Amino acid sequence: MRITRHPILEFDRGRKILFYFNDKKVEGFEGESIASALHASGVRVLSYSLRYHRPRGFFCGIGKCSSCFMTVDGVPNVRTCITPIRENMRVRRQDGGVGELSDKRFAARKKMVVDDEIVVVGGGPAGMMAALAAAKQGASVTLIDENHRVGGQLIKQTHKFFGSLEEKAGKRGIEIAEELMKQINSVPGIHLILSTTVVGCYNNNTEDGGDRYRLVAVRRFMDGDQLLDVFCKRIVFACGAMENMLAFPGNDLPGVYGAGGVQTLMNVYGVRPGDRVLMVGAGNVGLIVSYQLLQAGVEVDRVVEVLPRITGYHVHAAKLRRCGVPIYTSHSIKEAYGSDRVEGAVVVEVDKNYAPVSGTEENVSCDTICLAVGLTPSVRLLEQMGVKTEFIPEAGGYVAVHDQSMQTSLNGVYVAGDASGIEEASTAMIEGQLAGVSAAASLGYDRGANELISRCRNALRIFRSGPFGEIPRRGKEKIAYLFDKMGKKIWGDSEL
Amino acid sequence: MTRKTKNDDFPHKADVVIVGGGINGCALAYQLAKRHVDVVLCEKKYLCYGATGRCGAGIRQQWSTRENTELAIRSVKMFEKLEKELKMDIGLRQGGYLIIIHDKKEMRQAEKNVAMQKSLGLNVSILDVDEIQDIVPILDTKGINAIGASFCPTDGHADPFKTTHAYAYAAAQHGAKLYKFTEILGIKKKNNLIDHVVTTRGNIKTNTVINAAGAWSKKIAEMVGVKLPNMPFRKEILVTERIKPLFKAMVISFKDGIYFSQQDEGQILGGIPIPEEKPGYITTPTFTFLHHMAKTLTHYAPSLRHVKVIRQWTGYYDVTPDARPILGETKGIKGFIQCNGFSGHGFMLSPMVTKILSDYIIDGKTPPILEKLNLSRFDDKKIKREISVVG
Repeated sequence: MRITRHPILEFDRGRKILFYFNDKKVEGFEGESIASALHASGVRVLSYSLRYHRPRGFFCGIGKCSSCFMTVDGVPNVRTCITPIRENMRVRRQDGGVGELSDKRFAARKKMVVDDEIVVVGGGPAGMMAALAAAKQGASVTLIDENHRVGGQLIKQTHKFFGSLEEKAGKRGIEIAEELMKQINSVPGIHLILSTTVVGCYNNNTEDGGDRYRLVAVRRFMDGDQLLDVFCKRIVFACGAMENMLAFPGNDLPGVYGAGGVQTLMNVYGVRPGDRVLMVGAGNVGLIVSYQLLQAGVEVDRVVEVLPRITGYHVHAAKLRRCGVPIYTSHSIKEAYGSDRVEGAVVVEVDKNYAPVSGTEENVSCDTICLAVGLTPSVRLLEQMGVKTEFIPEAGGYVAVHDQSMQTSLNGVYVAGDASGIEEASTAMIEGQLAGVSAAASLGYDRGANELISRCRNALRIFRSGPFGEIPRRGKEKIAYLFDKMGKKIWGDSEL
Repeated sequence: MTRKTKNDDFPHKADVVIVGGGINGCALAYQLAKRHVDVVLCEKKYLCYGATGRCGAGIRQQWSTRENTELAIRSVKMFEKLEKELKMDIGLRQGGYLIIIHDKKEMRQAEKNVAMQKSLGLNVSILDVDEIQDIVPILDTKGINAIGASFCPTDGHADPFKTTHAYAYAAAQHGAKLYKFTEILGIKKKNNLIDHVVTTRGNIKTNTVINAAGAWSKKIAEMVGVKLPNMPFRKEILVTERIKPLFKAMVISFKDGIYFSQQDEGQILGGIPIPEEKPGYITTPTFTFLHHMAKTLTHYAPSLRHVKVIRQWTGYYDVTPDARPILGETKGIKGFIQCNGFSGHGFMLSPMVTKILSDYIIDGKTPPILEKLNLSRFDDKKIKREISVVG
């Protein structure tokens, strides 16, 4: 299943690593996740569900779902899609996945206290830009990400970005990620903490009357976890989004993947998700990932889109059509079938009320179903803190109500990127910059902050001005309206 | 955001308007509608939004006051028949409550409580340390200095969502009208009689309003100029990942304030009060709780040390000065009936409480318990406090 020839990517696989899956020897490469190495070795079923013992496989690939929970070196419920393989690691398939009972004390690793001016949660395009922007203003920043490297979803975007040159148009996402990673490592004032999941955010203002926020994070080491107790004056949440699931019989079969999960497998680890794919959704993600599947040597049977039109850029759709991939609008998936993995699917035409038209069912022979049916902003940490959220359909679900400087209803708490409303990596980078500069400025750091802020706002306006920017624009307008309605006095913003 | 929805179906009058769609509101709607009372229930958010949907779900009969014990014993008898009566699963499981006794003083109190509880017919006994270990093997009885425990095998827990929805569904079957996302904006009087309520969907003419609004009861009462002594307190709970089935009882300790149980699917669920919590409408969870709970829980059951916490959340206790509910008609305002102030025990007492209140509304029956728990008891300086309280 490993990709050897690819028009854009070269996979330098590095050192081979041997580990065990259910006591059998399996081979992988250094830096690879457990789930990816198992997939490359043909293992599709990673666990069985608790109640009905149904097989579960890889789904999101970025640590947001629970499909890949396995027992690793005796520890149950480990998210194998974001855990790198190690020599002689023992990985077991779970059935039900119950927690570990043990009288043994925790490893000697003591709690670490971090105290910084600004903490950025999430090292994707928005988070990297926020950290960079704040640090360039002179602030001290801690950037926390749960993966073992920064870059977020940029590291799997092999297509070239649109927009203006200033916003890195014409460059591939992976190149932008490389560039930003280099900067993160070279700009002074950024403290990078990787393989660390923020599990709790607490509004210390209400707890002890102080002016600092408190975050609790778990850092994963080879020999166990470490608790991080993080204090800061400003927080930027750039925690991205989760893939949406679609309700149809068989949607939990191994072989039904999120589009992002497919990208991670093939573009980050060089592993083909399957041999023949049914793509559900003809938005930009569905179209781009379909093309990337072709580049990886995977057949795409067709793309189905429930709406009567293609919603992604036509340039992406045209590329697919030139390669002979049909795009069926007003069509959707009816069911997936197979015993312990996808063996095929049934698609059906839908009427203008999106109800299936009986008699139009068609069998699709495929071993992989890829869902590109949208994303939901990750706002749970924000909600835990007490940040005001509202349901905005155009923004993808519940989002934090925020102002023009990306500040939420809590003073000093900012949001950027998909977590503030589903959009693109380009706008996420600008929003991140905006949040980073604003957070730094509110602490008194000013190296041309005003000018930068107005430049960012202008860039966002331009990005959202076209017909394809209409939906996010409407979402952001609603958010701005709700923020004004809250009637909250925000310090730091009036003079900006 | 408040919105008005034009709804021609919205009733203009009702015999009884219930404020609050928690367990008590829904059970009241059922009890009244079953006996052909024209009931309208208004819930500001959705059913179980408040304390009901956030509670520890325990059902306990071991109390220090006679009134609570009596209410609880009779509630459990009703819980046991509820699935049959409402024709729906309520997730009842009777695994008992194990109340840890840590010292001689607690032992004396427990003996007093158990004697009183037994006199009311409850099957309850005091266990020695070995017997505790049989019921909850993971307890470190030495570590927590347990010298015994009181145990009642018919205590247990039910699913608050399933129970509330079962009541709500049965109420609707009997003709009750339940309106979600409908807020009470005002309650209007005429000559010390309730005249009508103002809601976000329109006015309802009625002479009887039941205040079952939980932590918001105080605000509802203010609408008619009644001052309730209730205070909302944020309470926190956490739940862990699933572990293999280990025990069926709810473990509680009055000394440490902790309670925890294992759910049907294996999660450990429990809570503990955080020190110096002040009253108020605060919903954000705290790290103080997480830390305190994790520390105390692993002190009680050290083998849970490596079990992961999945979630923590908050809800309110609607706390009265004596930690006992306020029930019945309000002195001076005919038709304004209280059903609140449960101080953390609203779910477990709901079947009997709502039965008594509906009998009062329909038949005018005033059993002694209703008099003892009337709001007017706070007019006296001396109040009898319920001391068997956790969480």
